[in-house]
This record gives sequence, structure tokens and C-alpha cells, in this order.
Amino acid sequence: MLAAQDEETAAHPARFSVVTDPSPSAPPSAAPGPTAAAGGKGRSAVGGGDGGDGPDRPSSPRRAGAWWRAERLMPRGLHAVAFVPLVALGLIVAVLAWKALPAIRYNGLGFFTHTRWSQGNLYAPLVTTHGVRHPPEASYGAVPLVVGTLVSSAIAVVLALPVAVGTALIVVEKLPPRLSAAVGFCMEVLAGVPSVIYGLWGFFTLGPFLSRLANAVWANHLPDVPVLRFFKGPTYGGQGLFTVGVVLAIMILPIIAATTRDLLRQVPRANVEGAVALGMTESEALGTVTLPWVRSGVIGATMLGLGRALGETIAVAMVSGSLVGAEPRSLYSSFGTIAATIVNQLDSALDDVSGLATATLAELALVLLVITLVANVGARLLVRQVATTVLPVGRGI
Amino acid sequence: MFTRSSATPIPVTVPSWRRTRRSGVVVLSALAASAVVLAACSSSPAKSAATTTSTTSAAASLSSLENWPTTSVSLQETGSSLLYPLFNLWTAQVQKEWPSVAITTASTGSGTGISAAAAGTVNIGASDAYLSPAQVQQYPGLENIPLAISGQEVAYNVPGVIGHLKLDGPTMASIYQAQISKWNDPKIAALNPGVTLPDIPIVTVHRSDSSGDTFLFSSFLTASDPSGWTIPPGTTVAWPNVAGAVAAQGNGGMVQACQKSTGCIAYIGVSYLNQVTAAGLGYASLKNKSGNFELPSQASIAAAAAQFATSTPASGSVSMIFGSAADGYPIVNYEYGIIPTKQPSALAAQAVKAVLAWAIDSNGGNAPTYLDQVNFVSLPSQVVSISTKLISQVHS
Amino acid sequence: MTMVSRVPVPPPGLVRRKTRNRLVWVGCGAALALVVVPVVSILVGVAGRALAHFHFSVLTTYPVGNAGGLLNSIEGTGVVVVGVMILSGAVGVAGGVYLAEYTRTGRGGFLRGASEVLSGVPSIVLGLVGYLALVIDLHWGYSVYAGIIVLAILVLPYVTKTTEVALRNVPTAYREGGEALGMRSGYALRKLVLRPALPGIATGLIIALAISVGETAPLLYTAGYSSRGPTFGLHDSPIGYLTYNVWTDYNQPSNLAHQRADAAALLLIALVLLLIVVARVVVMTTQRHSPDRPQRMGKRPT
Repeated sequence: MLAAQDEETAAHPARFSVVTDPSPSAPPSAAPGPTAAAGGKGRSAVGGGDGGDGPDRPSSPRRAGAWWRAERLMPRGLHAVAFVPLVALGLIVAVLAWKALPAIRYNGLGFFTHTRWSQGNLYAPLVTTHGVRHPPEASYGAVPLVVGTLVSSAIAVVLALPVAVGTALIVVEKLPPRLSAAVGFCMEVLAGVPSVIYGLWGFFTLGPFLSRLANAVWANHLPDVPVLRFFKGPTYGGQGLFTVGVVLAIMILPIIAATTRDLLRQVPRANVEGAVALGMTESEALGTVTLPWVRSGVIGATMLGLGRALGETIAVAMVSGSLVGAEPRSLYSSFGTIAATIVNQLDSALDDVSGLATATLAELALVLLVITLVANVGARLLVRQVATTVLPVGRGI
Repeated sequence: MFTRSSATPIPVTVPSWRRTRRSGVVVLSALAASAVVLAACSSSPAKSAATTTSTTSAAASLSSLENWPTTSVSLQETGSSLLYPLFNLWTAQVQKEWPSVAITTASTGSGTGISAAAAGTVNIGASDAYLSPAQVQQYPGLENIPLAISGQEVAYNVPGVIGHLKLDGPTMASIYQAQISKWNDPKIAALNPGVTLPDIPIVTVHRSDSSGDTFLFSSFLTASDPSGWTIPPGTTVAWPNVAGAVAAQGNGGMVQACQKSTGCIAYIGVSYLNQVTAAGLGYASLKNKSGNFELPSQASIAAAAAQFATSTPASGSVSMIFGSAADGYPIVNYEYGIIPTKQPSALAAQAVKAVLAWAIDSNGGNAPTYLDQVNFVSLPSQVVSISTKLISQVHS
Repeated sequence: MTMVSRVPVPPPGLVRRKTRNRLVWVGCGAALALVVVPVVSILVGVAGRALAHFHFSVLTTYPVGNAGGLLNSIEGTGVVVVGVMILSGAVGVAGGVYLAEYTRTGRGGFLRGASEVLSGVPSIVLGLVGYLALVIDLHWGYSVYAGIIVLAILVLPYVTKTTEVALRNVPTAYREGGEALGMRSGYALRKLVLRPALPGIATGLIIALAISVGETAPLLYTAGYSSRGPTFGLHDSPIGYLTYNVWTDYNQPSNLAHQRADAAALLLIALVLLLIVVARVVVMTTQRHSPDRPQRMGKRPT
């Protein structure tokens, strides 16, 4: 409708003229560009980028045409650029799947049932099985790594959730604004500290401290009951499941705490005041009114934190003892996670000239991708927008 | 690069006048010499000056290879953490005397040294382990050049023990397979009569990265206990599941991990002996093939290596583990420079040859001033000529 | 909350409930302490270890073996960060503009979903893919461009999201006014809508900066490492970065290397703190007069 006219026109910024098109939202037939491309999403925020913006007399027809063409192309260009994450995601999956093919063929389902991780005899001639060349006796099993990843992240969530919710509660309910700002600053620092620094701190400070703490308080005083045997025993030097769990908990605290804080502030005050007026103590009112209100959001944020803990690489590699092929037997033993193994073993994998070790690492990365994606997608279904402190929270490192 | 789908061997082109004496060298595969590359390589005046003197004799003289470029060139080295302290000493001296050559060093593990050299991302790879037959086949342009002789000690953190514990291969194989789990086990006590061993669990430490030290240690276990240790040696080994085991990155990481864990046992390169003692750890005397317990020292390492001086092949690849010298230390090895024979530029090739030639020169890098600081031993003259031949094959 | 009735006998269980209430708040206080203590420990620990041996020469010299400084890593981090901000800024802002202006909330469908899913991809997976695809298959070798591309993809969702949120916070009245005045939509976008959203977009870029400064895993196998200054060749141009020094040097048995690792850690912490402050300043000064001032943490507004 306006298309024919607008070929000749372009709005000069200083000139205003009567808008001949009465309806602000141009009908889809007017321009094929963004409205159609946006899948008929209806009235867009900027009144349609399709030329429904008033025909002004241009200063010169040629310039007007050029501007107008650029104008029409802009939403298309933006739309194309908006596809970049999708394309990147597709490329990631495609590259990993392609590179992992030999390993998938060779390892088969045993990858998820075996526990040994062996590159085989690298100094013997290569052999071929199932059409895949490999060093003899190569055998890869990811069970200890998957177990280590899931257990360490579970410990992190169990430790972080109550602490984060408690902190958010006290910040929103009790603290004066200055202290709240200070705690907010602490949250941002926790969110912003690079994971190498967490690893460094965990290795030199936290690990030995936790080892001494466990030794002093419970590790040597527990009865020898099968369930509790996990918590008993020598605490070694501090590089193990316990330290990793605590470090991961500290890393995912900001996500949960910040989201909880924002959600708590949205709880209608009247409900809480009503509960208190009925005679409940503050904590009872919180428990009956507030917490159920924020429950799904908090769970969503926790799952986001879980996603981050599952994918955490560097801090875990520095603090976990980096074992491959051993499930954690006690709370203090060294173990390996998928992400830490990939970063530690990639150099070793390159020694395997058949390429099977590198392919297996790609397969491992695929497994990790699936696990973290499940956690993240589940989280997004539960909470629409995770709170952001000024600095990033929620990144899946 | 290392996956089958993208494996491309590094092309090697050899000038025709060199082929006469090359029969024994593994690196040479029969590739047609490209005339263009020939012309390019031999057109640089520095190179032709260096190579014309060696046309007739098999062993190019070291000094002719030590032809330092005057234009500034930057080389990359990576790999073995065992060679790293010595390579840093060499780099510092090279930087001082010939400032045009700048070398970046990194300690990333022998496996990375090999793979980075194979991929061509570095000019010099360092490794304690020689190339495997599969790697030689895959990368015919790669050679391992002996640069020095080193060894490996077994360190432990056992409080209350004065002096050096005696250990042997079968005992350590049992330790690393969880068959012996405490320091006061009868098998260890039998080797160390009169020493009070505490009743603490053994914390085994091994390397998490791809390591030449792992290769040496696992080779030693295989050689000294073939029935008890059946895991094939390599730069990466599938360590059995032992309670309390710790993995550490690099020799430095091994020292740190052992220092932190009471009761640890760890295999560490001999260039870290000072750090080991400074950290309060002890190191063991190991039983060699003749049944004698030897401490790692330059004398015992030299004694073990002397036997192999004449039997080292022209490729440089030989295992000196568990040799037959009566007073030799059982874990001894050549430190290899893994060098792609085709360097990216003429300048780089010239610089690489100069650096390596200076390194194996007993008046240069193989002088006691450097080797004594890391407890290494210099190359015997027969091996020096082998290395010289290998170095002279580097070209661009 | 106390009982206001004058009945002299308190109802049964009140003491127990009040005790429980107090316990809950004590527990929350303990949680707060558990949050603050690690922050203090990290900051003081890192600063303490580093300041004990700090010389300013560490900022101006290149490393030589175990000794030397961090100049290569500082320059490298700077180069990488600038590259990431340019690349992710361009792509992220454009994507955010599209999502904000041409889609509806809740519907934007798979584009927005793809961006969120991308934010959940672990960084080592991105690093591995970058290594396999760029370094190996495309034969770039260790390359600063590979590192920048991988990091830009990592931070892209954050830039997109903050841009979109910032644009959506601009009242529709602005756009309607522009339309009423006859402006081209693109022009209205540039002149009317983007301006008020700039602080939000700037915050997004600061987030991108903070993430890329602190990342290790994606760069380890794409950018490699170099102890010289940055080179910009298309192939084989490895580059140093601060996190590599922390990751590697703490494992070396040399005290000099440890000191270098500590100095790098100090620089990283200082950068992060600086970025927090800058972001706060940006947000506070530009929204000082806005009616939509973000609520500060603390008591609810009445």
C-alpha cells in the first residue's frame, strides 16, 4: 500500500507531513520484510519497520530511495544477525557429533557402563575394530566421571540453597539499606571472581581448612556404620569431593540469592501483613506465605545454578585432584568430573595418533552438553527471568 | 590434526645430495624432492654456507650448525616439565649471547611437546619419551633428538624417616595397584630393616597430564616387574583405582601434591631434586637390575647411561630403563627435542639448528655449569654425533 | 511480633514459636556470614599473597622462563577483551535490538530460546569445539582470532539479553511519539529509543568484559599461550592472558613463578572490582533521575 509511494519518499528528520496511512500498524501486505519474517507477530514495538512511517518529501529522490532501502533492509539484517546464537548452537552440536563419531562407534553403549579410562598401549601398532583404528586395549568408560559430576553438583546445590535463601531473607527483611548494598556488593564479587581464582583459593586456603575442619569435627568421630562410612576416613590434603562441593556452592550462591531477593521483593506485602496480623511469628509468615510464593522461581534459579555447577571446569580441575576412572569413595577422595577431565586430558588425547582419544573427549563433551542443557531448559521453564546483579550471574562455566 | 579425518603428515623434502648417508634414519621417508622447495631452501645464503661443509662427511661439525641468525627470530618451545628447568637456563643464556633469537618456553608435559611439534604449533617440542612407532609412522617429518641425559627419583612424604628409604619395582607396582596400602607394610619393612615406618596410609600421586615422567616410571615398573605390572607403559597410563590417590599436573604439581599429603609417594624428575628436599620430602634409593640400591645422582645416572652410548640407534630412540650397569641408577633417559624437520621459515630453521647444536655442545648447553644445576649428565660423544646428524636435517 | 493482648497467661506454645522464630533468624544470619566470609577470605587472601612480593616491574616486563613479569598477559588480555567486546557488541546489540523491537515477549520463540540455551553451554565445550573446528580443521593453529570468536560466542547471550531488557524498558511512548512525528522507524530507533537504553547496553558490555577477563577454558586450546606480545597473523598467533598465568604458574615449583601467579590473580581481582564499581556508577548516574530507578537491595519500597 505504501510501498509504491515510499519508493520515492524518505522521511527527512526535520520535516513532518501528514501521515497518509491511517493505521499505524502497516498491513502485512505492505512490506514483505520484517513483519512477515517475524512470523506475523503482530504489532511490533516500533510501529513496524516496513515503511509505515510517514511519507515525507525527501531532499533528493535518489538519496531518499537509498535511505529507504536501507531502512527496509535493517530489520532483515537484524533478523539475520539474531540467528547467530542458533547457528552457533547448531555448529557446536554438529562439530561435536561429527568429531565424536569414531568414538561413538567404538565405545558403543559401554561408554555408559564401563568405569576404566584407558588410552591403551600407545607404543604398540594400531589395530582396527568396528572400522575404527585405535591403540590396542583402548577402553573408555564415563561412569565415574558422570557420577563425579552429578554428585559434586548435588552437594553444591544442597549446600548453596539454604545459605542463599537465608541470605536473601535476611537482606530483604532485616537489613538496613547500607548493609544490604554491602551484601549486594559481596554477591557481585562472588559472581565476578574468575574461576581460576576460586581454584587457587580452594587449593591453597579452603582445601586445607576444610580438611582440618572435617578432621577435627566429624571425620574421626563417626561410628562405623555403612551409610556414614562415606563421611569417615582420612581427609587427605583437601583436594577432593568436599572441597569441590563447597567451592561450587560458593560459585552458584549469587544466582540463587539474587533471584530469591528479587522474587521476595515481589511478594505482595498485604499477604504477609495479614499473616502476621493473625498472630504468626515472622518466620511462620515467611514459611506459610512468602516461601510458597517464590518457590518455583527459587527452584528455577537453583536449577540454573546446578547447570553452572555441572559445567564448571577450571576451579574443579584445580581442586578435585583430577582423577580419571575412579568414583569418589568417600567425601574426601579425589575424583574427576566431565569438564575437568576434558580440560586435563585434551593434551594427553593428542598423543593418540589414531584420534580415538580426542573423539572420546568430544563424545564426553556431548554428554556434558546434554546434561547441562537439560538443567538449563528445565530452569528456564520454571523461572522467566533470572535476576541479574550488575555483574554476571548464571553463566555456565 | 590428530583425528584420522584430518591427518596430514608433515611433508619432508630432502635435497638429493643428502640421501647418500641417510639409510638408517627413520625420519626420511621416500618423498619426491620438490624442486621449488629445494631452490627455496638452498637459496638462503646462511643455509648453504652451513650445509656445504657437511656434504662430504656424515657428521656435520657442531660449530657449523651453530650459525646464529642476525635477524631477529622468535621460536616456540613447549613440552616436558622435566627438561623445562634446563631449557630455561639455556634460553636465558641464548637470549644473552644472541639477542636476536627469542625463545618462548612452556612446561606442559611431554605429550603436549610431541603433539605440538607434530601439529607444527611449536618449533621445538621437549619430551622425556621418544616417539612411539605409531607416531613415527604418522609424522614422518618428526625426529627425536637427544639433548641431555636425565633421570627420575621417587619422592615420599613419610614423617620420622631419616635417610633414604629403599624401594624396588615390584613393591612400587604393588603400591600403585593398592596391594600395599600402608607404609609399615611388611614388604616395605623387609626392604628397610631397622627403619621405623609409621602406620599411615600411602597416598599415591601420579601425573594428570600426558607426561614423559609417567612413561619413564611405567616403563620401569614394566621392566622390573613384568608379571606384577601388566599395564602398558606410555605417557598416559590407566592407573588402577587406589584409595586416596591424587593426580597432579606437571613435576611442580607433583612436588606440591606430595608436600600437602602426608604419606605420599610420587615420581618426580631429577631436575626437581632440590625442590623435593626443600619441601621436606625424602627420595628413595631404587634397586637396579644387578640388585644394588642406588640413589639418583649424576654419577649413578652417568654409569647407567654409559652402557647405551654405543647402542643408541641413529634415530635416537632407545629406552635406558633398568639397565645392566652394576652401579647404575635404574630410571635414566635421554631428554629429547622433538623437532619437525620442516620448519616454517629458513630463519626459524637456522635458529633451531643453532640452538640445538649449542645445547648439545659440551662447551655450550651440555657444560657442567648448566647440567649440574639440574642433576643431568652430558651426552657421550657417540650420541653427540647422532644428535648432530639429526639436527642437520632440519630445514625449511 | 509480640502478642498485644493483656491476658497474663501466654497461649501455649508461644515461647516455643518465638524461640523457633529467633532460631530461624539466627540461621539466616549465619547464612549471611557464610556468604561474607568467603568474599573477605578470597579478597584478602589473594591480595595478601600478591602484595607480599609485588614489584611494579611485573607489569612492565615479559616473562623469561620462570621469572619475569606479566606484560605479555596484560597486553594479551587487553587485545582479547577489546576484540570480544567489538564482536559480541556488534552481534549482541543487533540481536537484542531485533528481539526487543520486532518480536513480542514470550513469543520471539526459538531465537530467544536459542540465546538462552547458548548461555548454558559450558565454556570447555565451546573451547573444545573452537579447538577442533578452528585450530585444527581450519588450520589456524593457536590464534588470537579463534580465541576471540569463541569468547564472543560465550558472552553473546548476556549482551543480547541486557540489550533487549534495556530496550524494552524504554517506554513505548517514545516510539509512538516518533511515529507520530513521522520518523522513519530506523531513525526513531537510533535517535529516540537507543539513547535511553545505552546505560543498559553499556552494562551488558561490561558484563561481557568481566566474563572475558576471567575465562580460561575457552582460551586454553584456542589462543594457546605466548610469552611475547600479541601478534595478529591469521595463523599461528598465540597470545598470552592473565588467567593462564594463574592456571599454570601455581604448579611450578619455583617461587618466582608462584609470585607471578599471585600477581596475575591480584590483577584479575582488581579488574573485577573495578568493573563492578564502573557498572554500578553507570547504572546509578544514568538512572538517578529516572522514575524507573531500580530498587536497591533492602527494605521494600512503601
